[in-house]
Amino acid sequence: MLDQVYGALADPTRRAIVGILAEGEANVGGLAERFPISLAGVSKHVKVLERAGLVDRTVLGREHRLRLNPEPLREASAWLEHYRTFWDTRLGALEAFLLKQGPRPGEDRR
Amino acid sequence: MTETDEAAPVLVVRREILVPRERVFQAWLDSESLARWMRPGDSTHATVSVDPRVGGGFRIVMEGPTHGAVEHRGEYLAIEPPSLLSFTWISRPTDHRPTVVTIEFHEQGAGTELVLTHRGLPAKAVEGHRRGWTDILRLVEEALTRG
Repeated sequence: MLDQVYGALADPTRRAIVGILAEGEANVGGLAERFPISLAGVSKHVKVLERAGLVDRTVLGREHRLRLNPEPLREASAWLEHYRTFWDTRLGALEAFLLKQGPRPGEDRR
Repeated sequence: MTETDEAAPVLVVRREILVPRERVFQAWLDSESLARWMRPGDSTHATVSVDPRVGGGFRIVMEGPTHGAVEHRGEYLAIEPPSLLSFTWISRPTDHRPTVVTIEFHEQGAGTELVLTHRGLPAKAVEGHRRGWTDILRLVEEALTRG
């Protein structure tokens, strides 16, 4: 899943699409007008974003509304939050370990 | 700091320890020391093996009642006692993808200030496009706070 998210965001056009959808919903036609590539080209990029779970599509008659789903982006950076707690706790344990060990012979104890 | 460095997801944790930095540095490369402190509070024990040279690897298996055996491994990128240590870090929380941990040891009076930086490395496909990450996360945050 993460590989798909990273892969989907590896392309500048797809990142730009995510940027536009972060501002609000859009349809494929509306998106295509903002890029110097064909409607089919934009549609292809949107499909990659959909497969990565970053974009949700709602079909209303002939209109395809696209909406950003930020959840995979959050998951992609979730390890950071995990390690914030992890390192904070580990450094506390390191401190406790070193203080308990006491100074080595000849070491300055101030 | 290079431009690409700044663009990758990054975490910085600081800590002051009232112990000279030679000893603080050593505690990171000694397997017996690591087994004592490099494990979560609820874990029963940790098995540690280290090959402390640039290019050498390390492996830490933390065993506990909550998560079972959790393996962390990596490779040393820089070992400059007593001021700098850098290694890759691969684990389940990083989705078994390499991340990079760098620790600076600054002398502070009789003690040491540690500055630990944990940096994400996007998949190879994203190399050269790292700037995109921070921009996207910022946009998403903005979109969410607007409701």
